Amino acid sequence: MTDTVTITIDGQDFEVPKGMNLVDAAKLHGIGIPVFCYHPKLDPVGMCRMCLVELGNVAIDRTTGAPELDEQGNPVIRWFPKLQTACTQTVSQGMVLRTTSDMVVEGRENILEFLLTSHPLDCPVCDKGGECPLQNLTMAYGPGESRFIYDDKIRLAKHVPLGKLIYLDRERCIQCARCTRFCDEIVGDDVLAFHERGRRLQIVTISDPPFDTKFSGNTTDICPVGALTTTDFRFGARPWELTEVSTICPYCPVGCNLNASTRMDREFGGKAMIKRIMPRQNERVNEIWICDKGRFGHHHSRHEERLLAPLMRNKSGELVEVEWPAVYKAIAKQLKAHGDQAGFVGDSTLSNEDLWELRRLAELSGGSPRLGLWPATMSGGDVVAQVGVGSETRLQDLGPGSVILVMASDFEEEAPIWWLQVKQAADRGAKVVVANARPTKLDRYASAVIHYRYDEAVGVLNSFTAPLLSGDGQLGQGNGWGALQSDLQNAEVTHADTANLLASAENLVIFLGSEGLTLEQHAELMQAAANLLIVSGHVGRPNNGLIPVWPGANVQGAWDMGFSAEATADLLANPPALWVIGGADVAGEDIRMATALEQAEFVVVTAQFMTPTAAHADIVLPRQSFAERAGTYTNGLRRVQRFYPAQGPIGDALPDWKIFAHVSAQMGGPRPPVAAGTIFRDIAQRVERYIGMDYTRLAWFEPQFPDVGGDDLYYGGTAYSNYGGLGLQWPAEAEAEQPQFSVRPVRTAAPQTDGLTLVPVWVLFDRGHLFEKSELMHHRMPQPYAAFNPDDAARLGLTDGDRVTLAVEGHELTVTAQVGDDNPAGAVLLPRRLSGDATLSTPAACTVQKIESMQKVEG
Amino acid sequence: MNLIRGFATTIKHVFEEPVTIQFPEEERPVRERFKGRHALKRYDNGLEKCIGCSLCAAACPADAIWVEAAENSDEARYSPGERYARTYEINMIRCIFCGYCEDACPTEAIVLEHEYRLSFNDRVDAVYTKDMLIDPVPPGGQDTPQVTEPGKFTRSIPEMKDPD
Amino acid sequence: MAHILLRDLDIPDIWQFDTYVANGGYEGLKQAIGNHTPAEVIQIVLDANLRGRGGAGFPTGRKWSFIPQNEAVKYVVVNADESEPGTFKDRQLLEKNPHQVIEGAMIAAYAIQATAVYIYCRGEFWDLAHALEERIEEARQANLVGENVLGSGWNCPMFVHLGAGAYICGEESALLNSLQGLLGQPRVRPPFPAQKGGGLYYEPTVVNNVETLANVPWILVNGADAFKQIGTSESPGPKIFCMSGHIARPGNYELPLGITFRELIFEHAGGIPNGKQLKGILPSGASGPVLRATDEVLDSPLTYESVAKLGSTLGSASFILMDEDTDMVWAAAKMAHFFKHESCGKCTPCREGTYWLERIYERMMRGEGTEHDLHLLNSVPRQMVGVVLCALGDFAANPVLSTLKNFPDEYERYIRQRPVREQTADTLQDYARKEAGEHPAAVGEGGL
Repeated sequence: MTDTVTITIDGQDFEVPKGMNLVDAAKLHGIGIPVFCYHPKLDPVGMCRMCLVELGNVAIDRTTGAPELDEQGNPVIRWFPKLQTACTQTVSQGMVLRTTSDMVVEGRENILEFLLTSHPLDCPVCDKGGECPLQNLTMAYGPGESRFIYDDKIRLAKHVPLGKLIYLDRERCIQCARCTRFCDEIVGDDVLAFHERGRRLQIVTISDPPFDTKFSGNTTDICPVGALTTTDFRFGARPWELTEVSTICPYCPVGCNLNASTRMDREFGGKAMIKRIMPRQNERVNEIWICDKGRFGHHHSRHEERLLAPLMRNKSGELVEVEWPAVYKAIAKQLKAHGDQAGFVGDSTLSNEDLWELRRLAELSGGSPRLGLWPATMSGGDVVAQVGVGSETRLQDLGPGSVILVMASDFEEEAPIWWLQVKQAADRGAKVVVANARPTKLDRYASAVIHYRYDEAVGVLNSFTAPLLSGDGQLGQGNGWGALQSDLQNAEVTHADTANLLASAENLVIFLGSEGLTLEQHAELMQAAANLLIVSGHVGRPNNGLIPVWPGANVQGAWDMGFSAEATADLLANPPALWVIGGADVAGEDIRMATALEQAEFVVVTAQFMTPTAAHADIVLPRQSFAERAGTYTNGLRRVQRFYPAQGPIGDALPDWKIFAHVSAQMGGPRPPVAAGTIFRDIAQRVERYIGMDYTRLAWFEPQFPDVGGDDLYYGGTAYSNYGGLGLQWPAEAEAEQPQFSVRPVRTAAPQTDGLTLVPVWVLFDRGHLFEKSELMHHRMPQPYAAFNPDDAARLGLTDGDRVTLAVEGHELTVTAQVGDDNPAGAVLLPRRLSGDATLSTPAACTVQKIESMQKVEG
Repeated sequence: MNLIRGFATTIKHVFEEPVTIQFPEEERPVRERFKGRHALKRYDNGLEKCIGCSLCAAACPADAIWVEAAENSDEARYSPGERYARTYEINMIRCIFCGYCEDACPTEAIVLEHEYRLSFNDRVDAVYTKDMLIDPVPPGGQDTPQVTEPGKFTRSIPEMKDPD
Repeated sequence: MAHILLRDLDIPDIWQFDTYVANGGYEGLKQAIGNHTPAEVIQIVLDANLRGRGGAGFPTGRKWSFIPQNEAVKYVVVNADESEPGTFKDRQLLEKNPHQVIEGAMIAAYAIQATAVYIYCRGEFWDLAHALEERIEEARQANLVGENVLGSGWNCPMFVHLGAGAYICGEESALLNSLQGLLGQPRVRPPFPAQKGGGLYYEPTVVNNVETLANVPWILVNGADAFKQIGTSESPGPKIFCMSGHIARPGNYELPLGITFRELIFEHAGGIPNGKQLKGILPSGASGPVLRATDEVLDSPLTYESVAKLGSTLGSASFILMDEDTDMVWAAAKMAHFFKHESCGKCTPCREGTYWLERIYERMMRGEGTEHDLHLLNSVPRQMVGVVLCALGDFAANPVLSTLKNFPDEYERYIRQRPVREQTADTLQDYARKEAGEHPAAVGEGGL
């Protein structure tokens, strides 16, 4: 093959891919070349000089260009006279390496001796001690003792806060620049830099607020010493005392693989407790990165306000603690009475098993089950099943020739790790097209940016599709091709260049959010995206297709279990008498829901906290957090992933599936299953997409490259090897051997009228009822605001900082106005989950009243 | 003949001073290097030597030691370094008094002393907590937590034998 | 013989545009553009075997020929970051004969068809840089720089950039980083500056020393053969020797390569003052090994090859001379301090090694040197040589190893008799405080 070359390492021949650097090439075959500054996810810089090797190339005769041969006919090797850094050299045919010769051993010893001249010997208190590359490599390769006089060691500040989440210990820093390079290369946030030079070289934060990035925690993982530590874990435990439990992030559709590092704790009643959250390597999902929300958002799982026992309203209307059997009976009684009128809502943090048992309960209750999904902001689970991105898609494979369209989503706020991967794809040469009503951070990496009015979203996609419909098309007649063709024949081609770019792309991935769209509009937008993908032939293979930016961790799973946002909308339109709400804080997030619950006859809620929804309930059931139980989540790429119980149980809280199963049993259903795995077996038999899956198969794993976790001496602590399972992806219909495609014309939204539309938007660091409990993140959560376009603001007489009342559908909300050029005209952007006040799920017309001007507040 | 020799031995021992002592009224002194119950030491100013590094727990072959660490602040300072032991427990039933913990300790905080009267009626009683293990505050010293002036204790591991 | 480079010694007003032109100035550029293709210009410079005067002595024509021709954007960068101790030749050239440098740079730019020329001046040259901008403006008015140079349709503006005072920025890749607004740290090579991805803004770039470029106009006018008549066959051409230290007449001397040490020091520069004996010679500032002034050394010719044979380098030919009263250990200590101060900190051996060396010398200067220190001085520099990212780490080892080799007796004295040469006032705490630095950029607790 031409893609590989043969190199010789320590006398053994290996085939390695062309263009790979020597550290990776050796690692690929299990030969360790120790490094500090090099990291396989970052560009090599050759700073630490730890990876020194003896290197020889095949001597090339200058006149003929052919390799020189010795008397035996073997190629002559020309050795470099000095040691070379392996990280900055790439492999070439016939290259010869020595990694264990005396010269190399001495070279490594020398570098370690130098590094230790200024590194403090405080391993006993250092959080990295035990998983520290410097410690490991010193033991493995270092000199027995240093000749440096201990008293000459420099003393520097031990406790320099870089922002409120990360501390810098300047003494421990070995100036490898991994953290600054992570911020520059991977994230693109200009927040960390070197200052000064020589021995004074030091890491400083150059942003305001300090270390202003959503990915700051990752720098502590890749730091090869204990220079960067998180405030969250500080002195929590020694690494060797921790038990790593595989889990999945419960916040966003990326479904990052996490490791919960747990240890028993006296203050937690001697039960296992999550001490920190670390990324778990899954090259198909999050690689080795996680955002700060996932890393620091685990505190809700053992917050003191957790509900500990079931609550039921007594005769005087107060919620009082009762025993579990009593509530099961009470719920069953109510369900029997109102069964055919009951509405069921499942939250995006519920596992597939929870949702399945909720569905079984709904089925037992009689009537046709009304299964609503929360948050109900996005439609189109069926479309995803049809044209969802191909199996084995890896976002890090997207490069030159690939086009990524990100639409109707504030991508970094909604799916941070996808944002990170798309940003890197753009750096590698993929073309990114960003379409939204307002500028977002991804615009800076985009090849093309399209800013539309919210009501034009479908039109933008149609204008991409229209030029492709000229011929008969590969679909032949039927399947809606003709209808679509005649529908779009007069469509205006507004973005011809971008349309060309998309059509000619080798790979096309569309990330679709729902910003500014009602459910009906979003359903049309999903179909429009499907039309484009089908018509341009970007379906049914890896790295092509649709990825929905779902509004939660297990929205895909909820669709698969039969829940839908449309059902939620229907529940709102025709409210049932009895509500069973699993996990969601519907009333805290949506004012319409709050009203609906107020009017309901009976409300049953499973909740971790006394949320506004729980306050409306007649029965409140304490549910377990994701940390205490097993289950599966299905992420936005349709990958079904397992999470395991990490933390000791709290109070009488139970997993949702157990609660629902017990009620089912009361209703005459089967005996409750004993474990989540049993339920999943049931799912795998009855849900077509999950056929063939079980807990054992979901837990499969394989060695991943780059291998940065686990027992490694020099990448230790970076991330953890994945032993919890890489998950399984169910294939989209487009991947079938003979896929049946159909397209259909889509309705464009009615043009916006003169009035203002309240558009709910997402912010990553919100005050959702779970994330809010991570108090160390409060400083990152913005104050509640509503954002106005300057023209609208002028018309309304608003200035930045004014207090305004937004009236929508008879409800009123009071927030602070923010006026900025980036905000689209005709819309009031209202971030969800920023205050205790409920907002809206989907856009709606609103009126604005100024109640207090900024000057008055100041006065 | 053998009989006489045997009785002679017996008679000789009858008049010897007895080696048994009347414990607990009397106590036999132990050797200087005897390894008895552990004590957690303090500096002269009352600060604890233990920095909560858990190395004793790691070294313990019987898994008898349990340490949980926390961070010092100038408002509540337990040890001169960055970190201190919030929880420190030794299960005396498990302990085999090998002294590895003493060897592992980087600050000479844990010392096996001469106390050997360890008996319990209940297994829970066998778990000695930090309050039971730590030495009393030396004269002139202050009990922990102490309020210390900012900037005085900045090292992660104290270098001084006895901070003032 | 008239000077080729230091023409101000013959014509004091040569810095003025009119005087320069009246004395044959810009003739080389006109000939290059008028009579030669870019490839021919490179060939002429190759034939002349002009070698870089910045220190490494790399053939200039070869350097130019590495530039890929099909790239749209290419740069010439003039390295005027003259920060080697004892070197002051570029300063005189830029001050007194600036147009010749501008002309040379434009010829280089023409030869590689560059899109812009940058002159990177060291931070302390700010007044010089302002004057240089005026000189460039004069040349631009005369259509010698800028758009459509001499009607050829080739555009090449010229800019002056001031550094911020770092020795490391004399290293070409660190200079390019600094020019781009990045931290002045060397880059990993390959890619080399001449390659795509390695140069200024990652485009192919030629980086030449001021003195090198000052030779180019003369070569174009007088031909490669005439140039080779001067000096030796391997090292042809005139060279400016900067004489400083214990010397009767310090200053710049333009002489052909190939004269001997003795001629340079005693005939041209007037010998050692006060009738003292010459003891040590630093032939290339602080970065080259120190030579002991033996007869063998003094009778050697000054070419790149012969100085290398003596175990040193000709480098930028900045001679620092030390008479018999000089304390060589003290001198080495000063140089160790210099390199510690100037190390950029990017790679481990240089960052830590220079610091270690400085601490050892400080001990010796305080009269606390031990046998162990002598052992360290022998081994620590050897741990740095060859494994560092750029040449600075190698330079830092040179004064230590060469003084140890050539003046072992003086080190013995520091170990045996322990004279207190210099009471370094700093306690370690002061030192650390100094090291910690005070800077508003660091958030929260700075310093200790």
